[in-house]
Order: sequence, then C-alpha cells, then structure tokens
Amino acid sequence: MSPRFSELFTTISSPINEIVDQLGANDLPYIFPVHPNLVHFTIGLFAIGIAFDFAGAFYPLEKRVFRYLALPVTRVGFHDVGWYNLLACSLISFFTVGAGFYEMLLAVPLPGVRSVIGQNAIDTMLWHAVGGVALLLMIVAMTIWRGYQRFVWRKDYGRQVSWLYLACGSLILVLMGVHGSLGAWLASEFGVHITADQLLAAGADLREVLP
Amino acid sequence: MRGLLMLELLPPLNDKNLPWLDVIHPIVVHFVIAMALITVVFDLLGVITRRRNLFEVSFWNLVVATVAIFVAIIFGQIEAGLANPYGAARDLLNYHSTIGWSLAGVLGLLTGWRYVVRQKDPTVLPAGFLVIDGVLAVLVFCQVYLGDMLVWVYGLHTVPVVEAVRSGVIS
Repeated sequence: MSPRFSELFTTISSPINEIVDQLGANDLPYIFPVHPNLVHFTIGLFAIGIAFDFAGAFYPLEKRVFRYLALPVTRVGFHDVGWYNLLACSLISFFTVGAGFYEMLLAVPLPGVRSVIGQNAIDTMLWHAVGGVALLLMIVAMTIWRGYQRFVWRKDYGRQVSWLYLACGSLILVLMGVHGSLGAWLASEFGVHITADQLLAAGADLREVLP
Repeated sequence: MRGLLMLELLPPLNDKNLPWLDVIHPIVVHFVIAMALITVVFDLLGVITRRRNLFEVSFWNLVVATVAIFVAIIFGQIEAGLANPYGAARDLLNYHSTIGWSLAGVLGLLTGWRYVVRQKDPTVLPAGFLVIDGVLAVLVFCQVYLGDMLVWVYGLHTVPVVEAVRSGVIS
C-alpha cells in the first residue's frame, strides 16, 4: 500500500464516531452483546440434533442397554430430536448471524494484540464473519437435506438419516469449534464489547468506574 | 496461591489465568441454556399444536440439559476459583454459583418427574408442567444474566483483566 493511501485511513475516522454518544463503554447501545447469547442456541441445537441422529442410527446396538435401564425408547423419538433441534437451529441462526454483523460493525478490538494462532484483530473478525455466513448456509442446507430424508427419501426406513449426512454433521461441528474459538478470542483476547477491557484500554481506574 | 493442592494438579496458568487454552464453562453451558429453553419451547408447542411427539423431543433435551449442568458446574467451580473476581463481581459470582447449583437440583427433579410420567405414557405432559417450565426459563434467564455480567461487564478470564489483577491495578 502506498503511503498516501495509509494517510487516508488515519485521517478519515471510523463511522462509529458519529453515534459514539449513544454507545456505552462496551461500544454497544446496550449492556451485553446479543450475538454470544444466541450462539448458545446455534451450537447447542446443532450438536445435540446431530448427536440424537447418531443415537437413532445406532439404535439396534443400544436397544439392550435401554431395556436394561427400563427406559422406554423409540428410534423415531431419537430422530424427532434430530429433526426438530436442527429446524430450530436453522431458524434461530439467522438472528445469530444478524446480531453478529450488527455487533461486529460496532466492534473496537484492542490494538496491537495477536491471538493464540498469531492472527490480528481484523483478520480474526473477517474470518469469523465470512465463516459465520458459510456456516449458516451449511446449517440451512443440512436442514433441507434432513427434511428430504425424513419426509421423502427415507420415510419408510427405520434409520432416518444417511451415513453421509452424519459425517457432514460431524465435520460441521469441527468447523463450528474452530469458528467459535475465533469468536471467543475476539472477546477474551481482543476485548471486543467487554466493558472492563475497554475501560482498562482507555486508561480508566476500574476501582472507580466499575466498583 | 502456592501450596494449594488443587492448583498443583493443574497445568500452569496462562494469560487468561487458566490451566487450559480458553474458558470451558461457557462452552458447556451451550448445552444447558439451549436445551433447557428449547424444552420449554417444545413443551409449549406440543400443547398448542397437539403434536404429542414434541413431548418426546422436549424430554430428551431436558435429559441433555440435566447431564450438561453437572459438567458445567464442575468446570464452573474450577474456573470460578481462578477468576479473581473484583468489586461487585464477587457478589455476582456468588449468586451465579448459588443459582447454578440450584438449577442442577431443579433440572434433576424435573427430569425425574418427566421420567416417571413418561414410563406410563410418553404422549402426555403432566398437568401444570408448563408452569414449572416457566419457572425453569426464568431461572435460566437470571443465570445467563449473571454469567453475562461476569464475562461482558467485568471481563473475568480475559487477558486485559487478568493482567490488571496480576499487576495489582484492580482487586
């Protein structure tokens, strides 16, 4: 980049400055970020949905255990959890991604920090943003695939999902783990939307401003 | 801190004052928060739409939430012990621990109740269970509020706060 361009970046200030008087110390107009709270649902519902489809797929092996435990279990019950949890995951994840973008546009990561894997703040944010949209696409595609298996392709089968579906679900869970770690570092290392971290970076005395 | 037996069992602490890479408790609570609240949603939907198989979905989610909360408490207690809460965060952490242990009891009771009723007929939701569901949802919301305060306001286990505590800027 030529020096002239980099001068432009320092003279044009961030658009966040225009609404800075409406924001708190955490750079948000409210006390906690919404995105990390919605993430509980995206990850929890997806993981448990896939887990219960695994339980349904391996049902013939588990039958004896459940009989021993005197726990009445049906295979279709397991697959119901797999389907409805994934459906709920799909619906709520649009809000997860939407809230994520809103809050990322307002993010002020601490300068000069590198994450565990050596990434700077903007790289972590961009990967987390693009990855989030990609994951939403995968979740929705999985839900459509799951629906077709349940209602059309495999409706007469005991095992409602194909092995390939379960493999894809497992792979997406690994991706979610990596993706979630990037998000966690945005908070725990870059201090994004954390009141105490932002106040400390501003040189405030937490004993006074955050008693 | 030196000389404490438990700490000697753990690997050395990093810049988040953790013996492992990142906080584990907030990951485990995905499965408590999401599963407990989706149980309430599916119970409600089951009653409204009369889709009885939704009660089976909510039962299994309740089972997962109940198992997960004990794991969440184990990691929560370890990480709370290493959190160095300061100011009002000390009280918040105490409330969070109290409600956390209570929720384990509440979830255990609810799962047991549902288990017994389900043995007779899995398509029936016990009378008044929706009211209990409401109480469960309120408890979970309070718990999430307190946990959010500890992370997003007080920044416990984040690098800048740990640094400030270690250098004695906050206590």
